[in-house]
Amino acid sequence: MNSWMQQHPATVLGLVLWAIGLLWLMPGRKSGASRTPRTGVLIAVAGLLSFFAGCGKSNSDLASEVMFWVFATGALGGGVLMISSRNPVYGALWFAIATLCTCGLFMLQSAPFLAAATIIVYAGAVIVTFLFVIMLAQQSGAAGYDQRSQQVWPASLGAFVFLGSMAMVLQSDPPRYERVEIVAAETPAEQPGTMVALDPTKPVIAPQPPAIPNFLSRADSKAPVGSMKGLGRSLFGDYLFAVELAGTLLLVASIGAIAIAPRREEGAL
Amino acid sequence: MSVPFGPEEIRILLVAAGLFVLGAIGFVTRRNLILLVLSAELMLHGVSLSLVTFGKIHQNSEGQAFTIFVLTVAACEAGLALSLVLSLYRKSHSLDIRLWSELRESDVNPPDQGESLPAAVSTSAYDGIPKLTPAGVAPVGTAGHP
Amino acid sequence: MSEELLYPLLWLIPVAPLASAIVTALLGPKVLKYRSHLPCWSALAVSFLSSLVLLYSLPSVDSQANKPEIWRAGEDATAQAEQPAGEAATAQPESTDGGSAASGESEESRLAAAVAALKAKSDAEPKVGPEIVAFGFEWLHVGKLEVPFELRVDSISAIMLSMVTGVSLLVAMFGSGYMHHDAGYPRFFAAVSMFVFSMCMLVMANSFVLLFVFWEMVGLCSYLLIGFWFHKPSAAAASKKAFVVNRIGDFGLIMAIFLIWTSFGSVSFSDVLGNPATIARLHSVAPSLMPAICFCLFLGAMGKSAQFPLQVWLPDAMEGPTPVSALIHAATMVTAGIYLVARCTPLFEYAPLVQLTVTGTGAITAALAALIALTQTDLKRVLAYSTVSQLGFMFMALGCGAAGAELVTPAVTAGMFHLFTHAFFKALLFLAAGSVMHAMGDVIDMRRFSGLKRALPITHWTFLVGAAALAGVPLLAGFWSKDEILAVLIAAAKTSQYGLFFGIVLVIASLTALLTAFYTFRAYFMTFCGPEKFPEEAGHHPHEATPIMAWPLRILAVSALLIGLAVGPTHLFAGYLQRTTGLTPVEGHFHLDVMALSVFIATTGIGLAWMLYVAMPTVPAKIATVLKPFYALSQGKFFLDEILLVLVVFPLRAIAWLSTLFDRLVIDGLIDGVARVPRTLSDRLKGLQGGPVTAYAGVMWIGMVAAVVLAMTLL
Repeated sequence: MNSWMQQHPATVLGLVLWAIGLLWLMPGRKSGASRTPRTGVLIAVAGLLSFFAGCGKSNSDLASEVMFWVFATGALGGGVLMISSRNPVYGALWFAIATLCTCGLFMLQSAPFLAAATIIVYAGAVIVTFLFVIMLAQQSGAAGYDQRSQQVWPASLGAFVFLGSMAMVLQSDPPRYERVEIVAAETPAEQPGTMVALDPTKPVIAPQPPAIPNFLSRADSKAPVGSMKGLGRSLFGDYLFAVELAGTLLLVASIGAIAIAPRREEGAL
Repeated sequence: MSVPFGPEEIRILLVAAGLFVLGAIGFVTRRNLILLVLSAELMLHGVSLSLVTFGKIHQNSEGQAFTIFVLTVAACEAGLALSLVLSLYRKSHSLDIRLWSELRESDVNPPDQGESLPAAVSTSAYDGIPKLTPAGVAPVGTAGHP
Repeated sequence: MSEELLYPLLWLIPVAPLASAIVTALLGPKVLKYRSHLPCWSALAVSFLSSLVLLYSLPSVDSQANKPEIWRAGEDATAQAEQPAGEAATAQPESTDGGSAASGESEESRLAAAVAALKAKSDAEPKVGPEIVAFGFEWLHVGKLEVPFELRVDSISAIMLSMVTGVSLLVAMFGSGYMHHDAGYPRFFAAVSMFVFSMCMLVMANSFVLLFVFWEMVGLCSYLLIGFWFHKPSAAAASKKAFVVNRIGDFGLIMAIFLIWTSFGSVSFSDVLGNPATIARLHSVAPSLMPAICFCLFLGAMGKSAQFPLQVWLPDAMEGPTPVSALIHAATMVTAGIYLVARCTPLFEYAPLVQLTVTGTGAITAALAALIALTQTDLKRVLAYSTVSQLGFMFMALGCGAAGAELVTPAVTAGMFHLFTHAFFKALLFLAAGSVMHAMGDVIDMRRFSGLKRALPITHWTFLVGAAALAGVPLLAGFWSKDEILAVLIAAAKTSQYGLFFGIVLVIASLTALLTAFYTFRAYFMTFCGPEKFPEEAGHHPHEATPIMAWPLRILAVSALLIGLAVGPTHLFAGYLQRTTGLTPVEGHFHLDVMALSVFIATTGIGLAWMLYVAMPTVPAKIATVLKPFYALSQGKFFLDEILLVLVVFPLRAIAWLSTLFDRLVIDGLIDGVARVPRTLSDRLKGLQGGPVTAYAGVMWIGMVAAVVLAMTLL
């Protein structure tokens, strides 16, 4: 642990600053008037930047690098501001910012479809619904309980210890977790799914997934990872039944939501 | 051939962990039911981001496929949670989660209900927020409205 | 009829009532409603016809061909044992050894002689009668215990089946008229169907375990039917009483099954009863085994067939609807005990003392019940005690085998014959009483009505036939069967061994027969003769039975008139029954002396009743005042209920009270004390759980973080 702290001082400093900024910003026991939010935001953002800087130098090009810094700061900063906002409406809007930035990170991780889907689902549906509910339920503005938070210290301490140990494990030297290069199986057609004897000099052969009686579920090694084609093939080939189940789940959930939500006859809203 | 994670993967995973952790903090510390639900969604974002990154590390689309399911479940959860919040609101006319503290022995004192909360802030900043007219009432400014 | 066709027929007999019970229970309340009798009727008719076909075609079955494998093996063993020059001496030499070893005792030597006599007989002709065993499915298979679900029909079962289904069919027909206004109409027919199903399975079971299952089922159905009007407290109490008293007997039966299983290694009738050599061998090894088994079996039979001192439930059982009483008293329930004892004759042959107990119990029961019946004023109660008394007669006969091996078969024949004829005339009497009750607006007290001769002509003549048959008027059903019983008793009394005992029993039997004739006709004269008098519940014009009630009465009356004559003196019944496994066919005789005695007894009894209740109606009251203590004793049913209450119920209640006290004070105190420890501890801790949901979430979060961090640092 000590060696990790010595090797990555920026990460540790970033975590500490981030935590201080968050605690500064959280609505407290007493009136938060004495603490100006701007200072807290500055401390937190500085901490985030330091945290990212501690992650080491990457090999990617400048555009990706810039995009990562912007989106990562936006996602985490939006998160910090969301959980510390004294008004739920602003909280929902900061959540939208965090979501958009997460989608940017999806994009960086070569998941354009997911990015689009998340924006559509969250921005188009979830956040709008949240705002509707807030406006229906909290017409008088920020309530007293929004000015108070509880058990900030234990929760934050646990959270940042968790985060620190995560960083320590991921950045440990020598690395504990390694990327395993996996190549498409090149076993003869007669013996699908046989594993070649483990030999450190040879790449590990991925075992063929069990044959599913679905004509869409053919291995297509040419489709690049992250492409819509590859994702679609995986979803509607290997996970066809799961997709159908998920559709059923949505239907059941919508029926449940209708059943749970109060009726108009009962004088709810 | 095995190579260590690149710093790109590591920092994305750390961002994902950060989102998860922030969601958890929000879930534990805040008292507004809606913010609790939003925090849970933030945690799900963190999980989704990790899954996508793992998929990229392993060079397959299973991480993304799984994220789709996470998205589906999150949408279901949001819908159900909001209707639950609404029915809770109808009972207590408040979104404070501390009002729902029945999960204790009957002879244990309830948590500090007597705590004095600051009055609802209704400054001009909040007046500007649009509000929905309750259903069944003619909207303001129409002929039916007094 | 070929054998292949008999198998489905065999299954049809129990399955039809079962199907009817299920259909009526499921559809009855909503769909069938007051048509609920239709499934029951059709099912019982199907069963009855199948039973008749079976009865007819059974003698032509070649029993050697379809014997189950295991039994054939047993037969081979027997055959081996019977070869005098067999290589390995198995059963016969052993048994002779056992006999000679204990030759000092006359008892043992006599038994050995009996065994030898039996052996000689079984050498002469095969003891295996015609029978069909239909394998259903593997039912119980626990360890070495294998009980297949098998049906078995031999002569005794075939007779029982025809009797049970026939009488039940007539009772069900009568019941649909009798119950037509009742709200529980579908329930009644569902229970009756179930009752008949259970009884059919009881007589068709091929193992003691299966028999026990349906023995219990019969008990359950009787419980349901006796308590049919469960909103009446007396009916609910009567059904409970029947159930509980039967449990006492069932304890004996289950003990007997355990003993049979441990000694024979099988519970199948074919294995246990079909191998005389095995029984003889076991008896020679453990002389007390057979008496123990037989006593336990007889205990079971006592409960089911209402023998002293377990007879208390049967008179109360008439709280149920009258057709149910007819069913229980005539066809289904009480006959099970007789059937069991008759079926197990091969075992009882080795337990003469138990046979004496059987006879003695039968004699006591018969006399006691007859004495009680003398003074009862409730028509149905008189009939109920007459049933108890007649069952006593049957047991008296069944035990006569003790007097000598040659008497075993006549004894069983006499008992079963009386059972057979009794079913007809007792069903007739009960149904006629039901008809009276129906007409009198549910009044059954004989003091409140009289002279119904003119108002209820059909009921009158059918009741008269039934009463005459019960009293033993010559040429009617009861005459022939009672005759057989007396003949067997006389034969037993003539033997040297237990002559005195059987002599006393014979005297008791004759006196009881006299009393039977007397009280039966007392009931008849009180009900149907004398001045015409109706209770106010009946309205002005008591209505005669409707056709659906009258026809079963007529049919039963004709049966009671003719069936004894048809099968008794012609030796049809005896010849048929004696082909059952374990019995030896014997020649039938006419016992003219016994008949003369019977005629004298019946005439005297009826004459006495006529004198006291028709010619001089004031005399009975005077006699009652003169013999006040005896009258009170009889009227109060010898206070047996009260005696049992003091001897059995009160001590049990005291024990229960003590147990409750112990439970409350000691056990509960201990448990409460143990429970108080964690409670005190948790009182300290539960304040932590104050109720805010997010606090729980926070604790969960801290715990999760701790777990994950620990895992990461350790890995």
